[in-house]
Amino acid sequence: MGRMTSAERMHAVMMGQKPDRVPVNPFAMGYCMQIVGLPLGDFYSDGKKSFYGQFMSMRLHGYDVSPMYGYASCGPWEMGGEIAFPYGPGHSAPSVTRHAVNTIEDAENLEVPEFRDGKLPGAYGIADDLFQMCAKYKMPVTFQSGSTFTASSVVADTTLFLKWVLKEPKTLHMLLDKVSDMYCNAIEYFADKYGPQAVMPFDGGPSEANTILSPKGFEEFAFPYMQKLHKKIADEGIGVVLMHPCADQNMNIPFYIKVREQMNWRGKYIWLFGPETPVQDQIDAFGAHDVICGNVDPPSFQTKPYEECVELCQKNIEEGKDSPSGFILAPGCEFPPGASPDKLMAMMDAAEQFGRYE
Amino acid sequence: MTSKEELLEKLSNAVIEGDEDKCAELAESALEAGIDPYEAIMKGCNKGMEIVSHKYECKEMFVPEILLSADAMYAALDVLRPHLKVDEAGKKTGTVVIGVAEGDIHDIGKNLVLMMLDVAGYNIVDVGRDVSADTFVEKAAEVDADLVAMSALMTTSMVRMELVINGLKKRNLKAKVIVGGAPISQSYADKIGADGYGKDAVEAVRVANKLMEA
Ligand code: B1M
Repeated sequence: MGRMTSAERMHAVMMGQKPDRVPVNPFAMGYCMQIVGLPLGDFYSDGKKSFYGQFMSMRLHGYDVSPMYGYASCGPWEMGGEIAFPYGPGHSAPSVTRHAVNTIEDAENLEVPEFRDGKLPGAYGIADDLFQMCAKYKMPVTFQSGSTFTASSVVADTTLFLKWVLKEPKTLHMLLDKVSDMYCNAIEYFADKYGPQAVMPFDGGPSEANTILSPKGFEEFAFPYMQKLHKKIADEGIGVVLMHPCADQNMNIPFYIKVREQMNWRGKYIWLFGPETPVQDQIDAFGAHDVICGNVDPPSFQTKPYEECVELCQKNIEEGKDSPSGFILAPGCEFPPGASPDKLMAMMDAAEQFGRYE
Repeated sequence: MTSKEELLEKLSNAVIEGDEDKCAELAESALEAGIDPYEAIMKGCNKGMEIVSHKYECKEMFVPEILLSADAMYAALDVLRPHLKVDEAGKKTGTVVIGVAEGDIHDIGKNLVLMMLDVAGYNIVDVGRDVSADTFVEKAAEVDADLVAMSALMTTSMVRMELVINGLKKRNLKAKVIVGGAPISQSYADKIGADGYGKDAVEAVRVANKLMEA
């Protein structure tokens, strides 16, 4: 088999065919800014610079996924709160400086933002500058479409939100419903603007991890809104969704399986679980129809030497390479923004050496 | 079991169940029965929170449940604390400046550690999250802290903790330092010169107590 381009490689995986080698998605976001000598904060505050950094990093390293935009604290700005961009020491992503919901009345009065041309809420306006560049280069438009639970956990004061799980379930459902309406609006807007086949919604978040929430809590407060959004995605005719159940979500897997089953959806999920979920468990749960991503421990790219990073990637490739519907090498969450470029090279080198299919 | 032991066990169970009203009632009953409020806090509230913490580590309880337990514990503390003899409250304990390392907003774990130190009798000064090294050091100097407790959940923020330790040394402050959080280990704590490391909130208190005794 001859060498494929990145686009051909990804296309082959998405079509259920074998590419020349395992594709690489380094989930590199803030990291890309060091490649182009720009501050990390620009990744999130300026869509054009964000595209530029990611595009250059992708070309320099030769990995296989195109630029995207998103962060864990998406939602608060869009729903009336405030965030700060990560320009300070030690910062790695935007953080909330003022929550939109601090009382039950705030939740009652919360308004769902509309998505209109020239008037996109919060960071979606910044992201759309990047999306326009993606569309121009015929790359998928990867926009944030969840998770409702994580966004709501930062739209509201997080401690209050978590107390509402047990003390104020009705208010919590009202909040979750409004936040999921915001994501429905985003899905409709971007599918309409760029075409359902050109977009790839990105759904995921850390607040529903089982280090925070029980599987029972997930069933009651996260699952229904995931179903609502994924039905919207299916209704819009979108064919691919990037899923990132962040951190330890092992106890939530039965619900993720149910989302497709209950919708009878024919599209494809790309699953990027945290390092806590064994690759084989992902293959057992989703491998029959979905693409599985690897989940190399992200901090290792910052703390371990090149050789060890290659070994970790090799192990990950060996575990996932023969997943029936395809495998992409990836870290279990964002590539550390401060990791050195040789660590990303470790992913590429491992894919070349151990990920070939012929 | 004596009626005193029974009452303290009921208080501990009410903390675990997260029952605020019951906790306040049982705290009143403890005072009426002549139980020393310090003992009621340690053998009722503190014991309850230790069990909660253990159940969290075993994935039998999750953060929403812990927060309810914490509210219940504070309902009992509100009743018991005004009756503490002043010297008893601060017997083995001291003043702790606690916060999350610079660049990091993950404060759920820090808040759990704070609660456990609080119920164990420490005087708490919470400096919040995304806290600069200067703020930690300034605050420690201002309140004459015995301990500085730092939490970090990210590889990007954990490296900021060393700056605090260096800053405290530079100012010749007496405060000892405990660190913790998911990416931290004993070896990392040793490497940056921290005096102690806690794997979880219960251990954080144990380590703090040990440092205070030393
Ligand atoms: C002083 O002595 C001590 C002693 C013991 C101490 C101690 C101090 N402090 C803690 N302990 C110990 O005692 C506690 C009780 O046992 C324990 O505390 P923990 O804090 O560990 O445990 C808590 C009780 C429960 N656990 C938690 O609260 C953290 C849970 C996870 C899932 C998590 C959450 C919920 C969130 N997150 Co984020 N988040 C993750 C977390 C993954 C995980 N570890 O599960 C982590 C930490 N996050 C991560 C990331 C990358 C991020 N997050 C982000 C945001 C968020 C939310 C806001 C959505 C939310 C936090 C809400 C809040 N107010 O805290 C972003 C950061 C923004 C910022 N500026 O900081 C963002 C950068 C994502 C992005 N690109 O936007 C990862 C860090 C990777 C790394 N190692 O560097 C992460 C490990 C998830 C992952 N990828 O697997 C012990 O560690």
